[in-house]
Amino acid sequence: MAGSSGSAGCAVPEYEVPELHTRVFHVGSFGALWKQNLHRADLSVQEAVAEDGAAAVAEDLGCGLETAAELRAVCSIDMLKSPDKEEDPEIISEDSSLITLRIRKKALERREETIIVDRTCRQETFIYEMESHATGKRPKDPANLIEEGELFLTLNIFYPVIFQKHKDHKPYQTVLVLGSQKLTELRDSISCVSDLQMGGEFSSHPDQAPEHISKDLYKSAFFYFEGVFYNDKRHPECRDLSRTIIEWSESHDRGYGNLQTAKMEDYTFNDLSIKIGFPYLFCHQGDCEHIIIITDIRLVHQDDCLDRTLYPLLIKKHWLWTRKCFVCKMYTARWVTNEDSLAPEDPCFFCDVCFRMLHYDAEGNKLGEFLAYPYVDPGTFN
Amino acid sequence: MSCVSGLQTDCEALLSSFQETDNVRFEVFAGLWRDRRFHTIFHGQTRPLEKNKFTQKALDLAWRYFLPPYTFQIRVGALYLLYGLYSTQLCKPKQKIRVALKEWLEIQRFQLDLINAQHYDAAYIFRKLRLDKAFHFTAMPRLLSFRTKKKIRETQLKEEFKELSNRVTRLITSDVLEEMMNVHDHYQKMKCLISIDKSQPDKALNLIKDEFVINIKNAILEYQQWQQNKMKSSSKAKDSEEMTDRKEGGTSQDSEGSERANALAKIKYKSYNAVAMASKSRRHRQVKLESSESGSDQGKVKSPRCKRSRERSQLTQKGNSLETKDRIQAIKKEVVTRNRRMPVITEEENSSEEDLPRPKRKRTR
Ligand SMILES: [Zn+2]
Ligand SMILES: [Zn+2]
Repeated sequence: MAGSSGSAGCAVPEYEVPELHTRVFHVGSFGALWKQNLHRADLSVQEAVAEDGAAAVAEDLGCGLETAAELRAVCSIDMLKSPDKEEDPEIISEDSSLITLRIRKKALERREETIIVDRTCRQETFIYEMESHATGKRPKDPANLIEEGELFLTLNIFYPVIFQKHKDHKPYQTVLVLGSQKLTELRDSISCVSDLQMGGEFSSHPDQAPEHISKDLYKSAFFYFEGVFYNDKRHPECRDLSRTIIEWSESHDRGYGNLQTAKMEDYTFNDLSIKIGFPYLFCHQGDCEHIIIITDIRLVHQDDCLDRTLYPLLIKKHWLWTRKCFVCKMYTARWVTNEDSLAPEDPCFFCDVCFRMLHYDAEGNKLGEFLAYPYVDPGTFN
Repeated sequence: MSCVSGLQTDCEALLSSFQETDNVRFEVFAGLWRDRRFHTIFHGQTRPLEKNKFTQKALDLAWRYFLPPYTFQIRVGALYLLYGLYSTQLCKPKQKIRVALKEWLEIQRFQLDLINAQHYDAAYIFRKLRLDKAFHFTAMPRLLSFRTKKKIRETQLKEEFKELSNRVTRLITSDVLEEMMNVHDHYQKMKCLISIDKSQPDKALNLIKDEFVINIKNAILEYQQWQQNKMKSSSKAKDSEEMTDRKEGGTSQDSEGSERANALAKIKYKSYNAVAMASKSRRHRQVKLESSESGSDQGKVKSPRCKRSRERSQLTQKGNSLETKDRIQAIKKEVVTRNRRMPVITEEENSSEEDLPRPKRKRTR
């Protein structure tokens, strides 16, 4: 059967290439093994009262009740606190012997002098808010509470747009998915401009343009993990995009081994065998390809967002630069023209208002020669 | 020197002085912590993201000293350090300690050792961290994101904290000594049995020194003592060197034993970069080479024969998707004749990457 290729190996993940990626392992078995090695209390997502009584300590450690009671005092966190004056954690004290603080102090002073902080600071706030906006959320309906022992996968999904400037740092978004979620749930959550792209030249009748977006027209898509293509077959009109690849591979005996296909809607992430840190693929719209890397898998924690309905949860996205209208320089471009006798450059971008004002008369008649295409900016998802 | 390397220096200094006490009591550790007002290490950070990242780094660093191959005492010290850092951090919610499944199995053994040796304070503190839900139970110690270009270099940890390991100590454990003693006793008895005088073996059978087991033991102890002294004096010399370095703004804190490791890491780093930077066209060629010479092990990397082939197969993987892409595009062109249904858009070369609203520069002077 696809997805459970025999080479899944041990459920304890380990490096295949140090610091880079792991060997193949089966996600569900890995989660089960963790659970075997933990207590109920470790897994619980309820804010439980810790059983910290002397009796419990004595039992766990095999010591006497008296010792247990004593341990509580001896090992208290108060032992680490300095018994002196109130201190402000935002201020670094002058007399500290810690090197970390001396370095930080210098860095802060430098920051004060140079005022370029503003931008980085705002970016940082944006990243932080994105990362933590759902932290600690619990569902209103208890039925949607994530169960204890559930797995969390962190995925980096790369944007298909390969601008020259992104050669070294390809932009990506980061999402959290649950082990028990279907691959299709992730597929439906991936927002990509090519899904919103409208094909066609509309200079003669611009009002008819935004009728169909690509997502409605081309529903086919697949994920590729470890030799298996998981095709979206939920709609009858879905085409098996992977078939051509597999046929090509087989007909030329390219040596890619046994490529298999499966239905995306039949598989959860727990069902997969994967390597952490290894690049895989999501493909839709025929040729819009996104590299996918699973960067982390862990058990759910009580401080996480525990509302199942909020997953897949977007926790990081790249701030893409947007194209502005050439005329007003204010609004995001909605139209792009080629061979435009009215435009100073080719291609030229316009917002809807400026585009119509420049290219049509009051009755809506086309002025001059040009080709016009609806344009969806990559920054739409910012 | 970055904030993080300062953090490492501070943590190591704390662990070092704990090591010097020759003691594993939490009370003693807490005294050292208080002397340094170590909780203030989190002070002066106002940005939440920065705070989170720094705390994560601190926990990660302490965690690594909690695992083998560090000495028992350092591992206990690292546990206390983790406890202190975790409890006094200023993040809300608290940053968690990442523990990988493989490490957990190791840590479980350690906790058992603590209990068996009746180091109840250490055992209690580990139990408390667990009850406090201080851990994230993960697959791997760190997140892996296939960063080929700027490979994050492992920070060198202190060699002096490692369990002294060499062939001598690995070969001759107390078990082995005991076994040798037993065999030797047995041997003596056998010799007596076949001798004329049953109380002691014949002179002719006297082929081995009677105290040889004791002699071995002494020799080993002497060797270990010598090794320890050597470590200490070399680290002291290093320390004073470091002090002068630091005054000049230098950052040399590599311990003697790690110099070789450093050199190796550098070589690896270089060769790795060279591979990663192979141009696209060359990568392509390499793919073809591989697919014509080797048969069916492309999709999956089977038991790596050597480092070189492992690296190559990474490249092959990348190559795969490149080729696939070309192929899909070719197919698409055949099938879809769009007659320019899509606009021609060139990329602007010098556009800025982000499009945040312009920073309003405030001037203080
Ligand atoms: Zn896409
Ligand atoms: Zn405009």
